[in-house]
Amino acid sequence: MTDLADAHKKPLVQLLFSIADDKLVLGHRNADWTGLGPILEEDIAFSALAQDDIAHAGAIYGLIADITGGDADHLAYGRTANTYRCCDLVELNDEFDWAVAVVRQFFCDHFEHLRLRRLSRSNWTKLRQLASRMLAEENLAIGHADQWIVRLAKSTSEARGRIQHAVTKLAPLTPSLFEPTEGMADLEAAGVYPPLEAPMFDAWESMIANVIDETGLRAEFRAPAKDYVGGRHGKHSADFAAMLSEMTEVYREEPAAQW
Amino acid sequence: MSVSAGDNIKLDWDRQEDEARLEEFDARIDRGELIEADDWMPENYRVGMLRMAEHHANSEIVGALPEGEWITRAPSLKRKLALIAKVQDEVGHGQMLYRVSQDLGKPRDAMLRDLITAKTKYHNVFNYPAPTWADVAAIQWLVDGAAIMNQKSLADGSYGPYVRTMKRINMEEAFHFKSGEDMVLTLMSGTPRQKKMMQEAFDRWWNPCLMFFGPPDKESVKTGPFMRWRIKTATNDTLRQKFVDRFAPAALDLGLKVKTYQRDAQGVVQRNPDGSAIWTIDEALHPIESEKRWGFSQPDWDEFYTVIRGGGPLNRERVGLRRFSYEQGAWVRRAVLGRPTGAPPNRN
Repeated sequence: MTDLADAHKKPLVQLLFSIADDKLVLGHRNADWTGLGPILEEDIAFSALAQDDIAHAGAIYGLIADITGGDADHLAYGRTANTYRCCDLVELNDEFDWAVAVVRQFFCDHFEHLRLRRLSRSNWTKLRQLASRMLAEENLAIGHADQWIVRLAKSTSEARGRIQHAVTKLAPLTPSLFEPTEGMADLEAAGVYPPLEAPMFDAWESMIANVIDETGLRAEFRAPAKDYVGGRHGKHSADFAAMLSEMTEVYREEPAAQW
Repeated sequence: MSVSAGDNIKLDWDRQEDEARLEEFDARIDRGELIEADDWMPENYRVGMLRMAEHHANSEIVGALPEGEWITRAPSLKRKLALIAKVQDEVGHGQMLYRVSQDLGKPRDAMLRDLITAKTKYHNVFNYPAPTWADVAAIQWLVDGAAIMNQKSLADGSYGPYVRTMKRINMEEAFHFKSGEDMVLTLMSGTPRQKKMMQEAFDRWWNPCLMFFGPPDKESVKTGPFMRWRIKTATNDTLRQKFVDRFAPAALDLGLKVKTYQRDAQGVVQRNPDGSAIWTIDEALHPIESEKRWGFSQPDWDEFYTVIRGGGPLNRERVGLRRFSYEQGAWVRRAVLGRPTGAPPNRN
């Protein structure tokens, strides 16, 4: 399908914002480590992850701009806080705790992988092609995150303790990933965002368990409550407001100017 | 307690070397051969080369900081991506240069510890603040431009691993320089506010860049023997002149004003009550046709020595942030490197 039905445009833009905003915010957070990583080689790797995330976000904002008009930078930087559709988990400030950064990445990458897998089967050609390209890079990111979780959890008791602490701290935020954007059911039914064989949460939990079980880490996850309202509907954490204000500080000085 | 492995790494010009070997080594240098890590080398050559590579590595990872702090605020997706990639390159250069240094006999962890305890230094230029987005443009254009000039001369040096690293680094720096040039051009073609921001940033970086190449040749103690062994291949003053010849006309073309310190009739530098410089147009900046070079005013060399001794605007902050990063990451290194960070080094 090369043309998108009008009825699907509005819900699709909501879904695309949730992906682009997640990736922009996660890339932004990961780039906090650029120059300050615990090991030079890992500093470089985290910068690469940040670039992938932000580049993906840019491509998706570009796709949104094709539907709504406008340009990617304006969509990334020029919106009010309550129109962002990112979730609480990506917004979390890791406060330079590497364990938190790695666990956040681990949870998010597996979710992103599933989301892209679905989009790579979309009946809207443009989206399918873009998602397929991104999926290849996302798979690298998953390998990186899995490896760190296992490596740290199986090393010193100190590292294991820190990873366990981060898993325990972040697990309650994971339902925020699964909150559906407005009109998602219509997109699923129409094949624009085809469902997986299993519910999204179940598929994600089993991927996470594959890694966690190998390490003996303890973790409990739950699917979001039916009445959960969070980032996907514009209700954001306090961390997000501070982050957005910093991210757009220079842009807002002269929003119409070239930088 | 952290014990520096660098304590016994010192230049000693009274050291006795095997004369026959020294003669052969000097002959190799004269023939323009590259010295490799496993070759025999005089101890002062090894120490001199190690110090230079270590200082360079330190400069790369400290140099990541002033620009790194602007990644969160970069004003477009393209600039944000480019800045992350740029700072990532600098960290990568640090990684390569620490490896070169390791092979010369000092382990990475010892070098990082010496850096955060201020036992070793990094480039002076990174002790200056970058208070606006335009400073990022100025750094990428001017500081990276200066670095390329310096490193191009170092790529003609005699130590193989360092020379090859310089060649690779220079290719990447050329991208940074292009990106910086584009940022400066964008701001200078922008709104009055953007132009003002760019001029102010240029004012902050022009004189630190003149100092970038080190003190005037007559005051530079290192130059002699290091030039003989081609650890250095161009003098500080030569490189500084080359920088001015390249960047002064380019800056003027872009509509920037080139400024120097306000000095009184006796030539004494005048400063604001807070110690910051008072900038005034550099009247000495003009082409000298007969000498085929640009004239320019020297920077304030007293300021240079103050900054080198740790009294610069941000010495404490830069080292402090590196220490923070080192300490925050210690548990990760303990976990994956499998030995305590304070343990005696192995060469790799």
